[in-house]
Amino acid sequence: MIGYVKLLLYFFPIIFKVMNTDLFDQLQKDGLISATSAEKVRTVEAGKLFSLHWELKTILYLGVLLLSGGLGILVYKNIDTIGHQVILLFIAAVCGCCFYYCMKHKPPFSRQKVEAPNGFYDYVLLLGCLLFITFITYLQVQYNVFGTRYGAATFIPLLVLTFSAYYFDHLGILSMAITNLAAWMGITVSPFSVMSMDLSDERLIYTGVLLGGILVLAAFLSEWKNFKPHFGFTYRNFGMHIFLIACTAGMCTSESLYPAWFLLEILACWYFYVLAIKQRSFYFLLILTLYAYVGLSTVVVRGLVDMREGAIELGMLYFVASAIGTAVFLISQNKKMKKA
Amino acid sequence: MIAYNSKELDNISIQEEATAALEKECITAEEHAAIVAAHPSSLYTPNIFMRIGLFILTSIIMLFSSGLFALMSLGGGDEGITALSFILGIISYIVLEVMVREKKHHKSGADSALMWWASVSILVGIGVATSGDLGILAWSLTVLLLSLWFTLRFADVSMSIIAHLAFLATLFSISIRLGTAGRIITPFLLMGASLGVYLLAGKLSRIHTYRHYRRCLEVLKALGLLTLYVSGNYFVVREVSNEMFGLDLQPGESIPGGWIFWIFTVVLPPLYIYLGLRWKDRILLIAGLILLAAIVFTIRYYHSVAPIEVAMTLGGAFMILVAYFVTKYLKEPKKGFTAAGDDEKHALQRLQIEAVIISQTMSHTPQPTQGEVNFGGGTGSGGGATGEY
Repeated sequence: MIGYVKLLLYFFPIIFKVMNTDLFDQLQKDGLISATSAEKVRTVEAGKLFSLHWELKTILYLGVLLLSGGLGILVYKNIDTIGHQVILLFIAAVCGCCFYYCMKHKPPFSRQKVEAPNGFYDYVLLLGCLLFITFITYLQVQYNVFGTRYGAATFIPLLVLTFSAYYFDHLGILSMAITNLAAWMGITVSPFSVMSMDLSDERLIYTGVLLGGILVLAAFLSEWKNFKPHFGFTYRNFGMHIFLIACTAGMCTSESLYPAWFLLEILACWYFYVLAIKQRSFYFLLILTLYAYVGLSTVVVRGLVDMREGAIELGMLYFVASAIGTAVFLISQNKKMKKA
Repeated sequence: MIAYNSKELDNISIQEEATAALEKECITAEEHAAIVAAHPSSLYTPNIFMRIGLFILTSIIMLFSSGLFALMSLGGGDEGITALSFILGIISYIVLEVMVREKKHHKSGADSALMWWASVSILVGIGVATSGDLGILAWSLTVLLLSLWFTLRFADVSMSIIAHLAFLATLFSISIRLGTAGRIITPFLLMGASLGVYLLAGKLSRIHTYRHYRRCLEVLKALGLLTLYVSGNYFVVREVSNEMFGLDLQPGESIPGGWIFWIFTVVLPPLYIYLGLRWKDRILLIAGLILLAAIVFTIRYYHSVAPIEVAMTLGGAFMILVAYFVTKYLKEPKKGFTAAGDDEKHALQRLQIEAVIISQTMSHTPQPTQGEVNFGGGTGSGGGATGEY
């Protein structure tokens, strides 16, 4: 659990913990820690280096973002001129170099998590994948190399991304593969726009349920088969949001089927609840609680709309009472999880 | 002044240090347990998700209870709304104090929600009571007083940010009243005040008496550096003077003495980075790195050096090279610097956040369009960063 509290440390490197040696001297005097432990603290603090790890990673990230974006625009702006073939050649060359570098430095494949050899490797791979997709997309748009069937333009990047994610063990590329899978199936998702997913028509809602189901299944299989089990979180995170949003959208748009959608949502929430308790993940617990709360409130509000008198007062009372109830639920679950 | 028991806050920070030491495997689990047992704390500080959840739920509770109150007192006109807002603000504040005192809430999410709700209610009350024609000075002073109180009483980081901004707004509104001379010195006054806040926060955070405010003071340091830059940035000074003082500048025209601000714009971020590396001060270093982007933006806004895609390509390649050579240079730690991470235990969680950011910013997935012959569902731009052709 402490891990999750620190999850945000990436954004707030200011509060990196510094161990206070005076405090540990005092603790040693109080007899709470042994002399060897106090000495260890002193050694670690004295030999402490100023880490530029995350600063360098951020610079690399921005560099990759700008370079791949810039090249992507360059190609299309210079289409039909001689210059664009030079650019294309350049993209292919850089892309080749990236993959060459990664193949050269790649640790042997394993079903478990593989540590990247250095902070640079991950981003070289990312750049390689992005440029490869630019290249493929260009070929497809200009020459229609891969034909028009089966959504080839999104399907080939999907294959490349999925393969790279597993072969080189890269969570970021896996996430990109997931958004690509969604695009191939016809819906747009990205982590921050997942809430405003366009689910206005029924076909998209069913696609959402299907996609969410596939992703949750992928998470389950990753962990059960012990094949890249650390991919489970990423799959489940996307899958859970997409599935539950699709259910909520189903409740809001469908007149006749809405009890069925509600039932489906509650069943899914129950499954995620059991899982969250098992994995002691407070993140999933919070998310499923909020979705279940939204689902329940939708039902209540729909019921109140049919009432004639006192609906507003009752509705407000409902929200006050239910929010208190939900808060109490979260607090008690938190305690339960801490004890376990 | 502070609402919490000082001893308990100390114990929390001892527990945190013990946990950090445990994670670095300096102390054993038994020792950790012994430290925690010897320094108990009854304060309720749940994890970050709990805080978010409690914040949302408390906001819902406050919103709908206010709605119920409003329904009961419907038809009171402006005076009714004023009274209601003040009453709600005071009730929220009392609930906050009670939760902190009796339920020992400390950064639980519920307390932040109540703090914000109390402040906003009181401000709405003041706004309605004065029919909204309070000057900037009065508004910023009110906000300053409120947020300062919450900062001192609850050591709340978000409130200390508001307090800093309100402080600068107060200075700004005083200084622009002082005629031409005031207008000329405004940027320098704000820069001086920001520098003062930075230095003072640095000084106070090293004093034992103010240890419970350490987080607030660290954030103030960072914020002081940022506002110091913003107050002297050419773009900000030019556009704000143009708007506020009706200079009616044409594109290409500069403000009087513009070169001074160009110097600040270009020199400050590298200076921050230099000092940050020199003193091994992360706040300075990160502020400098962030503000490098501000230099690029400011220059590009007035002087188009190259088309955007060329600038992106070259800039991106340059950044990758810089990162590459620094990483290579620091393969073995040098001069107290290292390129390796210092927190391996949480590497996976960080990778997961990184993954979210990457897929958010790098895959411009196309909007699906129906009825197109080409690709059953998606359009051509794939998952690349090519969304703009």
